[in-house]
Amino acid sequence: MSCDLKPKDRAGVINPIFTCQPAGAQFASIGIKDCIGIVHGGQGCVMFVRLWFSQHFKDNFLMASSSVHEDGAVFGALDRVETAVDVLLMRYPDVKVVPIITTCSTEVIGDDVDGVIRKLNEGLIKEKYADREVHLVAIHTPSFVGSHVTGYDVALDAFVQYFAKKGEPNGKLNLITGWVNPGDVTVLKGLLSAMDIDATVLFEIEEFDSPLMPDKSGESHGTTTIEDLQGTANAIGTIALNRYEGGKAAKYLENEFDIKAIVGPTPIGIRNTDTFLQNLKNMTGKPIPQSLVKERGVAIDAITDVTHMFLADKRVAIYGHPDLVIGLAEYCLDLEMKPVLLLLGDDHGGYKTDPRIKALQENVEFDMEIIMNADLMDLESRLQNGLELDLILGHSKGRFISIDYKVPMVRVGFPTYDRAGLYRHPVVGYKGAIWLAEEMANTLFTDMEYKKNKEWLLNVW
Amino acid sequence: MPHHRFECSECIPEREKHAVVKGPGEDLTDALPLGYLNTIPGTISERGCAYCGAKHVIGTPMKDVIHISHGPVGCTYDTWQTKRYISDNDNFQLKNTFATDVKEKHIVFGAEKLLKQNIIEAFKAFPDIKRMTIYQTCATALIGDDIGAVADEVMEEMPDVDIFVCNSPGFAGPSQSGGHHKINIAWVKNKVGTVEPEITSDYVINYVGEYNIQGDQEVMQDYFKRMGIQVLSTFTGNGSYDDLRAMHKAHLNVLECARSAEYICNELRVKYNIPRLDIDGFGFEPLSSSLRKIGIFFGIEDRAQAIIDEETARWKPELDWYKERLKGKKVCLWPGGSKLWHWANVIHEEMGVEVVSVYTKFGHQGDMEKGIARCEEGALAIDDPNELEGLEAMEKLKPDVIFTGKRPGEVAKKVRVPYLNAHAYHNGPYKGYEGWVRFARDIYNAIYSPIHQLSGIDISKDEIATDKGFSTQRMVSDVNLPEEVKNSETLRQYTGGFDSVSKLRNKTYPYLEQRAASVEA
Amino acid sequence: MEENVLKERVAQLEDHILKKCLWQFHSRAWDRERQNENILGKTMQILCGEPVAKETAEDRCYYADAVCLADAYKERFDWINTLNVAEIKEVMAALKERIDYVTITGSLNEELTVKQY
Repeated sequence: MSCDLKPKDRAGVINPIFTCQPAGAQFASIGIKDCIGIVHGGQGCVMFVRLWFSQHFKDNFLMASSSVHEDGAVFGALDRVETAVDVLLMRYPDVKVVPIITTCSTEVIGDDVDGVIRKLNEGLIKEKYADREVHLVAIHTPSFVGSHVTGYDVALDAFVQYFAKKGEPNGKLNLITGWVNPGDVTVLKGLLSAMDIDATVLFEIEEFDSPLMPDKSGESHGTTTIEDLQGTANAIGTIALNRYEGGKAAKYLENEFDIKAIVGPTPIGIRNTDTFLQNLKNMTGKPIPQSLVKERGVAIDAITDVTHMFLADKRVAIYGHPDLVIGLAEYCLDLEMKPVLLLLGDDHGGYKTDPRIKALQENVEFDMEIIMNADLMDLESRLQNGLELDLILGHSKGRFISIDYKVPMVRVGFPTYDRAGLYRHPVVGYKGAIWLAEEMANTLFTDMEYKKNKEWLLNVW
Repeated sequence: MPHHRFECSECIPEREKHAVVKGPGEDLTDALPLGYLNTIPGTISERGCAYCGAKHVIGTPMKDVIHISHGPVGCTYDTWQTKRYISDNDNFQLKNTFATDVKEKHIVFGAEKLLKQNIIEAFKAFPDIKRMTIYQTCATALIGDDIGAVADEVMEEMPDVDIFVCNSPGFAGPSQSGGHHKINIAWVKNKVGTVEPEITSDYVINYVGEYNIQGDQEVMQDYFKRMGIQVLSTFTGNGSYDDLRAMHKAHLNVLECARSAEYICNELRVKYNIPRLDIDGFGFEPLSSSLRKIGIFFGIEDRAQAIIDEETARWKPELDWYKERLKGKKVCLWPGGSKLWHWANVIHEEMGVEVVSVYTKFGHQGDMEKGIARCEEGALAIDDPNELEGLEAMEKLKPDVIFTGKRPGEVAKKVRVPYLNAHAYHNGPYKGYEGWVRFARDIYNAIYSPIHQLSGIDISKDEIATDKGFSTQRMVSDVNLPEEVKNSETLRQYTGGFDSVSKLRNKTYPYLEQRAASVEA
Repeated sequence: MEENVLKERVAQLEDHILKKCLWQFHSRAWDRERQNENILGKTMQILCGEPVAKETAEDRCYYADAVCLADAYKERFDWINTLNVAEIKEVMAALKERIDYVTITGSLNEELTVKQY
C-alpha cells in the first residue's frame, strides 16, 4: 500500500489538462468591475481563451488583444500596447482597470511592459484621460512558466499589490475564493451571511451567470470593485480557500500589511467546510449559528443516503486544478471511496511540500498515485494497462476517455462545456457536498442502467 | 457604394474603410472594404492567429496524423475540442492533441532536444499512427528552433514515419488567414508528389478546402462516389496524410473554401496542370450546378443529373416548407471567411431570407468581392468586425437571426438575436441537399422558438397573456400563411434523423465497383 | 442592337455571373484574365453553336463552367434565344468587357497584383 507522488514519465504533453498562464490572468481580470484586459501577444491567446470561457459559461466575456503581428515580433511591439490602451479607453468609457497581460512571445522578445505603462501614465493617461480614473496593471504571465492556475495566482497577486492601500480598518474579511464558479460564490456568501460576516470576495463572479433581459442589458462580468481591492489592506484577515489560486496574494497582504492569512483548506466536503467555518469563527469571533448546523444536517442526511450503499469502495480518478483535485480526493475518502489516481496538470514546486499531499501519503491504505505535470494520457495509458476505475472526476477535456473506456464521469472543475449549466452548481460548502455526492451517485446509477449492471438495485433503496 | 462609419468607431477613423453599404446602382468598383490588414490593437476584434489558421483550421482535420505543436502547452490546449471536424476513423485527430510543453529552461537553452524526445514518445504512444505534423508556435519561432532539421533526423532514424513541418507562428500575419497560406504552400512544396497513389477510377479529383464539419465532406464524397469518381484526397477534412501527398495525380481540383485553400489549387495548376474548379456545396441550385460541372468535365453529366434529380425530388418539398416560413426574415451573415459568399445569395433565393449584413473576420478583399456581389442592395459589409461594431450593427439592422461563431453568438443572445453556429453548425451537416434542409430547419427553430418570443416580455411592465399554457413554432410561423401553404400536401418538414452521416460510411458504389471488376477481368 | 438594350442585357448577364458564379473571382489579375477569356469565350461559342475545344483538362474545366453558364442564360433570359449569331457575339463581347472591368481593370482589390499566390 503506497501513495506515490511523481512527475509524469514523458517529456511532452498528450491531451493536456491545463492551458498556459495568460489564460489564468484573463480569468482573474474578468472578475473585476470596469476592467478589460489587454493580452500582449498574438490574437489567438485571447480569441481562444474567450471561446473557452464562453464554452464553459455559455456567455461572452470581454478581453482585448494588442494583436502582435510579424513586425512586432521582429522589432518589438510596445507601440501595439500603447495603441491598444488608447483605443480601448476611447471606445469603452466605463473602463477603469486595464491589466496588460504578457504572453510567451512578448516575454521572449523582451517587451518592457512595466516601462510602457510608466510611459503611458506620464503621457497618454495624464494628457488625454486626465479626468478619468485609469489603472494600468502589468501582469507577467509567460506561457512557458507554470499553467493557467499559476497565471490566476500571479494575476490576483498583481491586482492586490497594485490596489491594496493602507487605510482605516474596515472590519471586513478578505475571502479569496480561487478559481470557482458562480454557484460556489453564492454558497460561500451564504455561509458568510449566516455567520453575519462582512467580507470582500475576490472575485465577485456571480454575475458570470447573467440574464437574458427584455431590455437587452444582461452582461457577464465580475463585480469586484477597485475599492474592494484597495480595502483588502484594511481587513481583519484573509482566508484564501485555495493554496495555488490566491495563496500568493494572501501572503502578500500578510507580509506587507500584517493582515493575518489562513490559506486553505478548499471547503469541499463536510470536513473541509467545517474547518472553513471554524477558521471564520477564529478570525472574526462570530459563532457558528444553528442555521448552519441544520444546513450541515441536511447535507449529512443526503450524503448518508448514498454513501455506504453506493459510493463506498468505488475507485476514482481525479484531474484538474490542484486544490480542487486534493479537496475532492479528501472528500471522496470521507465518502468511503478510493481515489486511486490524482492528476495535477503542472509542475508547481509546492506539491511536494503540500501538507494535504503528505497526509495522503502517510495515511492512505490502498495504492494511490499522484502525478505532477500530468496529462490525460497518464489516465488513458493506465486504463489501457488495466487500471480499474468506477468513476472519473474532471473537466470536459477528458470526455473522450470516459466515453471510449466506458468509465462514467462527473464533470467538475473548469471547463465543463459538455454539460449544461454546471457553473450554476456549487462544489464548495455543505450544498456543494450534497451536489457532489448526489451527482456522483446519479452518474453511477445512469451507468448501471446503460450497461445493465445490476440496474435493478435501484428499485428500492 | 458609401463607406459606412460606425458611431462606436468614430475615434478610429481608419475603420471607416473597412465597411461599406451596397448602394443602389453601384458595383464593386465603387467601393470595396479594405481587408487582410493588420488589426487595430485594442478594438476587441474577433480574429485569431496564424498558428490556429494553420494548425486548427487546416492541419488538424487530417485524420491519421499526430498533430503536435512545438511550444508551451496553451496553443495546443486552447485550440483543442473547439471545432467539429469529425472523421471516419473514430475521430482520432479530434480526440488527441500533442504539445512539446516548452518551459523556461527550453526558452533559454533551446527546445530541439525536447522536440525530438516528444516526437519519439508520441509515435510510441500511438504505434498505429505513422504520420505527424509539427506546428511551430510564437515561442519556438522566436527562439529559432530548427524544427525541420529535427524532423529530418527522426525520419532518418525511423524510416516508417513521415513528418510534415508547418512554420506558422501566431504572429505570422494579420489573422488566421496567414496560417492558411503558410500551410498550403508548405504542403505543396514539401509533401505533394512524395507518394504515388493507386488510381481506381477514370475520374479522379482532389476535394480541396473542405473540413468535414459535422460530416460535410462525407456527404459530398458520397455524391462523388455515386458518380464513379475517385476522391484521391480531401484537403483536409477526413483526409488522409498519404492521400494528400499524392494530390499531383488527380485530374481535377474541386475547390470549396477558396479562402483557406485556393493557394494549393493555384500551385497545383501551375506545377502539375491540374485545373481548379470552384464549387458551392451549399444550396440546391449551386450544388446541382457544381455536380453538373464535375460531370461535364469528366463526360459523365448523366450521372450527375441522376443524383440531382433524385436528391431534389427527395428534399426540395422539405426545403420549400421552410422557405414559406422564412421569407423576409432578416439575417446577419457573419461567418469567418468563405461562407459569406457561399451563402449570401443562395439563402436569399432558396430560403427567402434577406441578408442585411455580411462580415468576414479573416477574409481578404477577394472574399468581399464575392460576398458583396452575391448580396442584395442595402447590405452592410464589414471587414474584421469588432465587438462594438457588431452590437451597433445589430441594433441598427434588427436581424431576426445571425450566423456567426460560438462566442459572438453569445453576444447576440444577450441582445435577443438568436444565433446559429456558422463555423461548427447547430445540427449539421449543412452541405448536400439534406444538409441544406437541416440548415433551414435550424434557422426556423431559432427564429420561431417559443422561448425566444418569451424573452422579449418585461413582466414588470407588459401585460401578460394569461390564456396560454404553451406556444409552438407553427403557432407563430403559420399565422399569416395562406391556407394552401399551411395545409399543403406536398410541402413537409424535415424528415431526416439526428445523424445523417454515419449511414454513409457503409455504402457501396456501383460505378466504382464496376470499374474495379473490369480492371480485374 | 441599340445601346440601351445592349446595356440592359449585359447587366442581366453580369448580375447572373456575380450572384451565381465563382470562376470570375480568382485571386490574381492574370488568373481572372485567363478565366474570363476562356469561360466567356467558350460560353459564346456554345451559344452560337460553334465548336468548342475540350481536348485538354484545362479546356474541359473552362467548358464545364461555360456549359452551365450558357444553359442558365438560355433558361433565364428568353431574349437570348431570339438573337442571331452576330447579336450573341455583340452581347458577349460587351459582357466580357464589363466583367473584365468589374473583376480586373476596375477592381479595387489590392491583392490582384501580388506577385505570388
